[in-house]
Amino acid sequence: MSAEGFFRVLHEAAGSRMQELNALDAAVGDGDHGTTLVRGLTRAATAADGKRAKAFMRASGGASGTLFGLVLHEIERHLDDGDDLAKGLERACARICDLGEVRPGDKSLVDSLAPAAGALADEKSFAEAVSAAEAGRDATRDMRAKCGRAQHVEGGGVGHLDPGAVSLVLILETLARESVS
Amino acid sequence: MKKLFNDPATMVDDMIDGFVSACPHVRRGTLDPRIVVRQRNRKDPDELVTLLIGNGSGHEPIAMGFVGQGVLDANVVGDVFAAPSADLILDGIREVNGAAGTILLISRHSGDVINGRAATMLAEEEGMKVVPLLMYDDISAAPPERRADRRGAPGTMFIYKILGAAAEAGWPLEPLMRLGEDVRDRTVTLAAAVSPGISPLTGQPMFSLPDDEIYLGMGVHGEPGMGRVKTGPVRILVEEMIRRLLDDRPIAAGGRAAVIVNGMGGTTMMELLTVWAETVKSLASHKVRAIAPMVGSFVTTQETGGFSISLFEPDDEMLGFWCAPSDTPAFPKVELTNECPA
Repeated sequence: MSAEGFFRVLHEAAGSRMQELNALDAAVGDGDHGTTLVRGLTRAATAADGKRAKAFMRASGGASGTLFGLVLHEIERHLDDGDDLAKGLERACARICDLGEVRPGDKSLVDSLAPAAGALADEKSFAEAVSAAEAGRDATRDMRAKCGRAQHVEGGGVGHLDPGAVSLVLILETLARESVS
Repeated sequence: MKKLFNDPATMVDDMIDGFVSACPHVRRGTLDPRIVVRQRNRKDPDELVTLLIGNGSGHEPIAMGFVGQGVLDANVVGDVFAAPSADLILDGIREVNGAAGTILLISRHSGDVINGRAATMLAEEEGMKVVPLLMYDDISAAPPERRADRRGAPGTMFIYKILGAAAEAGWPLEPLMRLGEDVRDRTVTLAAAVSPGISPLTGQPMFSLPDDEIYLGMGVHGEPGMGRVKTGPVRILVEEMIRRLLDDRPIAAGGRAAVIVNGMGGTTMMELLTVWAETVKSLASHKVRAIAPMVGSFVTTQETGGFSISLFEPDDEMLGFWCAPSDTPAFPKVELTNECPA
């Protein structure tokens, strides 16, 4: 699959779940995660080859646009240039932890990304990596947020899934589905 | 509140249109219209280190007004009060980068730090030599033992100018970084806000304050600081601010401080010069000489009323760079004052 195809399908998938992502974000943040994700992907889907993740960063905006953009950047390099996906996701995860001052367990996209990157580093299959990401996503429900707006919400967002962890799984599931088909 | 714009969607680009056509020092970048680059007397980026910064707009003349000989090589302009995206900053780095390397100045605000550092990571990945320099000086944002958690405030202009002059003089990348960190660690800033600015996005005041109160330590976007004090003669206010600044970073008796008195946009030159005069007297009472002042409105937040005082204790070499000639649209000529013969 090309990066062009991946971004097109991801744009459609995110569009169909935009309201759900906004609703998740409304419980712990400012309620626009789905909207900003789709805004970025709309631009990425029509950007020039090699510039899709960067187009995403620009259009999505803010810190979350940058952090998700770093994941999409590695996927784009993997699909277009054949760069190693395991190393790429590991690098993206390390960068997000560094830049966002976030660690696994803080209730963020890292809780989905780190287990997936870890599974790939252990030479597990991509399907297993996606399963690990899904388990990480589900675990955010019981976590108290230590980063982002959710930490200022009453109860630290306990009882709600982290919207970034949910959309990160959506990205990986789309990649898995399209890679197989 | 009346504001003179066409359309919120184009206000930033309309402003840059006006800026580049009014100022022959600069032109638009070739990679993106949101990048302003130096036009006159450009550096050879393989020979001299280049400097740039990205920032949200709405604070002019900083930072586009400082693009030119002896200060910055480029400025990446974000939306109003919003950090430019990492890919836009990356384009800005591409515009100026050469073999001598580039320093990306980052005023420490969350979005600027994340996007700026991400941009340097992506630039390094592409083989460019670039390092980020985090700048912070606002003593109201964190206590002295957590200095690195402070946000960037108008005292960062000491770094712009001193690194700009040293880069022009041929200093290589690593010594420039050490110089920048040294200047940063010698600089403290404290602000006092008297009335809110109006956001050009919402048309609403950015904070509220009773008529007889002044907010001490407010950040450039209205972030919280130390708390409220009652209005009175400005002498009392300045004495209090100088006391807090010197408590935070003492200067020994007989020492000297270069000073920036920065207006926030809605405070008159008449008031700012009064603040400077009181700063000289207040520092003298602590046996510190006030020298080489920069007085005016350089880091603004629309029509916010208020000012900040920045103190910087220079060594002779730093002072020479601070007073070195420059040629930009908005950086003033800084001169030693009579209080301090060179």
